[in-house]
Amino acid sequence: MQINWADTSFLLAPEILLTVGALIVLVLDLLIEDDTSPVLPGFTLLALVSAFGAAAAHLVTGVDDVALFMFAADPLTHFFRLLGIGTALLVLLVSVNYVQARSKHTGEFYSLLLWVTLAVVLVAGAHDLILLYLAFEFLSITSYVLVGWLRDDARSNEGAMKYLLFGAISSALMLYGMSLLYGATGTTRLTEIAAFFTIPETQITGLYSIVVPALVFLLAGIGFKISLVPFHQWAPDAYEGAPTPVAAFLSVGSKSAGFAVLARVLLEAMPAFQEHWTSLLVVLSILTMTLGNLVALRQTNMKRLLAYSSIAQAGYILMGLAAYSAGATFPADGLSGVLIYLVAYLFTNVGVFIGAVIFEQATGSVAISDYAGLIRRSPWLAFTFVVFFLSLAGLPPTAGFVGKLAVFYATVAKGLYFLAIIGVLNSVVSVYYYFNVIRQMFFMPAPEGAERVRMPASMGLALAISFVGTLLIGFYPEPFLNLANMSRDFISALPLL
Amino acid sequence: MSGAELFFYVLAVLAITSALAMIFTPRPVYAVLFMVVNFVAVALLYLQLEAPFLAAVQVLVYAGAIMVLFLFVVMLMGPAPAPLWEHIPAQRPLALLFAVGLLGALATAIRKGAFTPLTGTMSSAIATAGGQSQALAEHLYNRYLLPFELTSLILLVGIVGAVVLARLPRQKNPTTD
Repeated sequence: MQINWADTSFLLAPEILLTVGALIVLVLDLLIEDDTSPVLPGFTLLALVSAFGAAAAHLVTGVDDVALFMFAADPLTHFFRLLGIGTALLVLLVSVNYVQARSKHTGEFYSLLLWVTLAVVLVAGAHDLILLYLAFEFLSITSYVLVGWLRDDARSNEGAMKYLLFGAISSALMLYGMSLLYGATGTTRLTEIAAFFTIPETQITGLYSIVVPALVFLLAGIGFKISLVPFHQWAPDAYEGAPTPVAAFLSVGSKSAGFAVLARVLLEAMPAFQEHWTSLLVVLSILTMTLGNLVALRQTNMKRLLAYSSIAQAGYILMGLAAYSAGATFPADGLSGVLIYLVAYLFTNVGVFIGAVIFEQATGSVAISDYAGLIRRSPWLAFTFVVFFLSLAGLPPTAGFVGKLAVFYATVAKGLYFLAIIGVLNSVVSVYYYFNVIRQMFFMPAPEGAERVRMPASMGLALAISFVGTLLIGFYPEPFLNLANMSRDFISALPLL
Repeated sequence: MSGAELFFYVLAVLAITSALAMIFTPRPVYAVLFMVVNFVAVALLYLQLEAPFLAAVQVLVYAGAIMVLFLFVVMLMGPAPAPLWEHIPAQRPLALLFAVGLLGALATAIRKGAFTPLTGTMSSAIATAGGQSQALAEHLYNRYLLPFELTSLILLVGIVGAVVLARLPRQKNPTTD
């Protein structure tokens, strides 16, 4: 087993760039006295852009290999790399003014943003339970710190503490599930676990009583990251307390990492148990979207509304995995639906959070009632909000419509009609609370003496990118469908050691 | 009774008594010192099991670094820390129940299980590598290199996080809403 360093550094190029970038930012932070210096965010941007470029190059050239025995640099990983780094780029653009206004310790924020991006990327490519667990912990620990970033804000502390406590329990559950799986199969590699279960069932009947609990524990641990009901309780408090750009990252970057793991564990390691996990996923999906939407109806705080909305969105995305059927044509296989939905969700949900950041930065408020009359205070911001909410509700001509269409299509193709009907009913419910915010913005009078909402250039740029992305996928989805079609291949056979 | 058996029984009794003494002593500093005794006894047991690397790590990391940390904590808390109260009703009987249950489960597993001495791939791997530490190192810096490096990053992030979260709150707070 000789490590080929040239190959390894090529396959892990995005990860290496992120790591080196984060370390350099930490050191530069010591050297630069000025908190508002553009060097740190500039360098962070450089690290993210170069990692994004490396990941894109991997995807385009079709790199498909395993690095250091445990990291699958396959198309699925490249996809999640682009998604995670892309989220971080948008979040960075809105973070700069936000953190400078709130803390003197901005250098650590940028390096933690790079670490959390690295964690998402590592989680997505982890091909071995050991690396998977460590990467998951890495993601959790960086997220806890980022949520508690506003040291002087009691709600930020509370959110971080709740996130930590729920996270510790679910991480222990997941580890227990992994240990059961290892005990049953004698290996930690995902593909070797799958190979083990190709042994005829009659020869290993006793093991099924171990594997099913293992599956449930794993789902609990991963479901926590995706904030599936009933593992979602942390999400509203953490989103509300976290710095708003961090909430945006959690709701998109961290969540998509969870979906990457779920796809890998279920599709790569446990295809033999598909009928078991399909029924579990159907139940979780129905619970998640129904509870998320019903509770969202009563929210008065924008960040909590978005938290419940993103819980509901996770339920829709999960439909795609429940409808997975190996070897089906694009886009009926379910996995491609998940990928399309995630791209749409990236632009839309980060976009709506960016809007909330801009509003919070200008007015200091996160209450939905304060959005009254936004159309007079900033027509452009109000208009982008309409597009994002249309997309979240899944209405044409936006990205969310394309994503929902792909997921529902797979669900119907698989014959899960009941799930599809519940999904459509939930989308109808969600329209109500999304349009309630729009009603506030357009038809309620602005408070006396309200000023125009201004946005710094970097925030405006991030908003524009999300806005264009959301509409582009709605009007011209072909390139994004091709991206999902390219990325739905993952390593199914690895050379055994 | 051979010398090896005598060695084992002496250490086993030492390990168990020091563990019990650590729990029951009311003085924090004594508890820490009893824990050191326990760690050293267990390290010697590892040595007897022909695991020199594990024994060395046990002494260096647990009896060394972690114990120093504990002593610091005891020092900072003072000799008479706040009394511990039990949050869960009936914690003691429940704990006893679970402890006895675990003991029973372990005893059954050990009685029913079949134990074979180190043979096959593991001992031959140790022989080829030229020793146990070498064999371990070959795994750690080869097949498990990525998790190994990731662990160091996790520790780094932990330190950065501790610095960020443990700093004193600012006196004036311009951003509360």
